[in-house]
Amino acid sequence: MRLREQVWTIKPTVPTASMADIAFLLIIFFMLTTSYSPEKTSVILPESQIRVEVTKDPSIIAITEEGNIVFTSGEETSVPLAGPDELGLIAKEIIELVPAKEFVVKADRNARYEAVDGVLEALRTNGVKRIGFLTRAEVQNSENP
Amino acid sequence: MSKKSKFRRSPEIPTASMADVAFLLIVFFMLTAVFTTTQGLRFQFPKDDPTQLNIQPEESVHIKITGVDQFVVDRLPMTLAEIGGYVQSKVSQNPKKPVIIQTMPDVPYYVMVDVFDLLKQLEVQNVSIPTESEIERWRQLGYFE
Repeated sequence: MRLREQVWTIKPTVPTASMADIAFLLIIFFMLTTSYSPEKTSVILPESQIRVEVTKDPSIIAITEEGNIVFTSGEETSVPLAGPDELGLIAKEIIELVPAKEFVVKADRNARYEAVDGVLEALRTNGVKRIGFLTRAEVQNSENP
Repeated sequence: MSKKSKFRRSPEIPTASMADVAFLLIVFFMLTAVFTTTQGLRFQFPKDDPTQLNIQPEESVHIKITGVDQFVVDRLPMTLAEIGGYVQSKVSQNPKKPVIIQTMPDVPYYVMVDVFDLLKQLEVQNVSIPTESEIERWRQLGYFE
């Protein structure tokens, strides 16, 4: 008599045991690389070939295409300012507290230079020593308007 | 008499929803992540001391930006490419030669950044970006026309 063959069938399953591991790995990556910038003014930065790390935790002065000035000390969210005079007063207060504090100009590429000049004058006359002009990487064969 | 079941469930922690939670967190971090760029061009203001104003016009290179692609360098109209060659020849003779960038108020900001970027590429050590009031003061002292 022939014995009946025992058939072992394995149910087809998608292995999902390691999915949580991958997901948590990605979470850790995003948690470490995420930085909450207090300055969110939308501007199109000018391009430059030379780009160095300007500074860490700077005060940021955004200048829109229309010439409006938006400021953040780097800790609070940005606030619009009435003009360079108000910026000068704020810069003076900051420099009195932290003399080495650096400021970063985040101006729109098409902003009139007059607006940038006003900001530079306000910073220079109130004791700011070093500033940075934020730029973006130069794109080859880009069509400049 | 109660009959005990033969089938015993092994104790386990339910992990089926862990991947869901993890991916939910990933989506949150991906949407809120802002990769801040604090890269650009650094600039240091000169010391604000009128008694140390020792830059004579003939000792420096004066780049005047009058419009988009309109430059006057030491009273000669030039293109941006020509400025590179001219400044290079001057700086090779004297690496500490000051180069002054004067920008007209109605010129777009990116033109000034283009010139400043070019000077940084040429490794010019002494770049000055005077404000309108500084230029006015230099005019009164007879250094500028």
